[in-house]
Amino acid sequence: MSTSQTPAVVMDNGTGYSKLGFAGNDAPSFVFPTAIATKTAAGGGGSGSGRPAVAQKPSFLTGGAGPGGHLSAKRGTEDLDFFIGDEALNAAKGPGYGIDYPIRHGQIENWDHMERFWQSSIFKYLRVEPEDHYFLLTEPPLNPPESRESTAEIMFESFNCAGLYIAVQAVLALAASWTSSKVQDRSLTGTVIDSGDGVTHVIPVAEGYVIGSSIRSIPIAGRDITYFVQSLLRDRGEPDSSLKTAESIKEEFCYVCPDIVKEFSKYDREPDKFQKYVVDQGAGRKVTVDVGYERFLAPEIFFNPEIYSSDFLTPLPEVVDGVIQSSPIDVRKGLYKNIVLSGGSTLYKDFGRRLQRDIRHLVDARIKLSEQRAGTNVRSSGLEVSVITHKRQRYGPWFGGSLLGQTPEFRSYCHTKQEYDEVGPSIVRRFALLGGPGGAA
Amino acid sequence: MPAYHSSFLSDTDVRIIGNFALLPLRTRTRGPAYTLPLLPPDADEINIDTESESYDHLDETLTLFRANTLFRNFEIKGPADRVLIYGILFISECLGKIKPNMTGREAEKALNTLALEHFALPGDPTFPLNALFAPARDRNEADTLRQYISQMRQELTIRLLSRVYFESATVPSKWWLSFTKRKFMGKNL
Repeated sequence: MSTSQTPAVVMDNGTGYSKLGFAGNDAPSFVFPTAIATKTAAGGGGSGSGRPAVAQKPSFLTGGAGPGGHLSAKRGTEDLDFFIGDEALNAAKGPGYGIDYPIRHGQIENWDHMERFWQSSIFKYLRVEPEDHYFLLTEPPLNPPESRESTAEIMFESFNCAGLYIAVQAVLALAASWTSSKVQDRSLTGTVIDSGDGVTHVIPVAEGYVIGSSIRSIPIAGRDITYFVQSLLRDRGEPDSSLKTAESIKEEFCYVCPDIVKEFSKYDREPDKFQKYVVDQGAGRKVTVDVGYERFLAPEIFFNPEIYSSDFLTPLPEVVDGVIQSSPIDVRKGLYKNIVLSGGSTLYKDFGRRLQRDIRHLVDARIKLSEQRAGTNVRSSGLEVSVITHKRQRYGPWFGGSLLGQTPEFRSYCHTKQEYDEVGPSIVRRFALLGGPGGAA
Repeated sequence: MPAYHSSFLSDTDVRIIGNFALLPLRTRTRGPAYTLPLLPPDADEINIDTESESYDHLDETLTLFRANTLFRNFEIKGPADRVLIYGILFISECLGKIKPNMTGREAEKALNTLALEHFALPGDPTFPLNALFAPARDRNEADTLRQYISQMRQELTIRLLSRVYFESATVPSKWWLSFTKRKFMGKNL
């Protein structure tokens, strides 16, 4: 076997984007939307495109199978006629293709599409022979074991991959933070704040295991920030307030400020804080959009959700504090000490600093209160709150996978094809903890 | 971190009518308010030092307006917070009157009319915040309150205009006008 030299393949399939690459690399080789475009004529799948399906042959011409058809009857060339990623988005703009997002809320919903998505990922994008490579896949916290089994069936039986490891994204995000200079002991205990496009999760992890009962999610994430920027642009009557413009402004100009009142005054004193963004509207038309208060107001919705939403009002620092307080008491100290950021919506400048300050305020206030209650001669030694910002935040889980996948012992943690053949799919219900105590360097 | 409160909450030796504090003002308009010394001519009116003896609650209202008007909930901690609420809602009303094509002169005229026109007092059936504001006890008090609020409104329009027309005397600042659609506490005067 040639597997002894090949690097492991690391695939992190998220709701929005899939990150693909090889272990040991610094960044994923491919990042594209987790989307697949299939022929709409096959029925069903086209509903997402919002277009009527192309004219179909009457059923007697398709051998009576009907347009809604049995997949098995059509395992012909239609089966190969699909696109994934950015190509899928392009194909779906034209006629004949419908787009589908096989992963919803982090979990695989459409296995047939997911199988084809992986097939294309492996053979068309990464261009590897699965028999020669070990695979490291990711899963969301609280993924049902049945999902793992289905994944293993596809990976081993359809693709014949040499070995497989499935890791929890939050645990990998913790591993990714080891690159930060602030981290001394490479422990797998910490609180992961994972904020992508659709939702923000706060996940406590103790020694590599997710504390499922304490996970909390917040309905405020990247997309909401974009919407908020858009609404501010509209309030001001800017010449272009499309979502795309709002998104670019968000990514280019936004940052977190320590105090919004002081920041408003700062803008009065320093007019160069106001910026300009040029939008190319196509056909040679260019308009200039002024960028102002949204620079710091937009990320502020994490810390003051009230200014954006009327039904969710708890600030992120309070949610994090609540998550840690609801975790077992013996791990809380470790959870406060290692709060790790992950995902694109945590990349704003000073996001970590503000979060750390706000959580520390909450913790200090509570300690003070309990000192008062306990009497005068009891003093707490205090509690260390530390939010880790590092350079690999954007693709945190993927990078953590890359880090662990390159270790020499990685393969011994994987289940191999041979083991799978002996035991069956249930083998993937358990994995030894990668990078745990006595594990990875 | 919820909406910002008034820093004048700690001033307890001020006259209170209903539960509205008659805080000192820095103004040339006549009225019942205790007047603070005017600013020296070379002072920066927009970035006035909070420790200065001329600093009054209208300066604070104008500073807090842009942040607080984004919030829908506000916990009233004392009479000074009610003055802040009234001030913020009045600024919103003023901004609604300034049209993007108005020059400074036109806006001044429009706001002067607004400041001087008849307005509802706490306790009047048309006053929108009667759940939070207590009415004056008698006619005398009501008159004083009306005069004080009128003084506040006039001074506030002057200072607001100097901010909105800070960069140009002919075009209002779109950064200020963008707050027209926001409603502090979901209310307007």
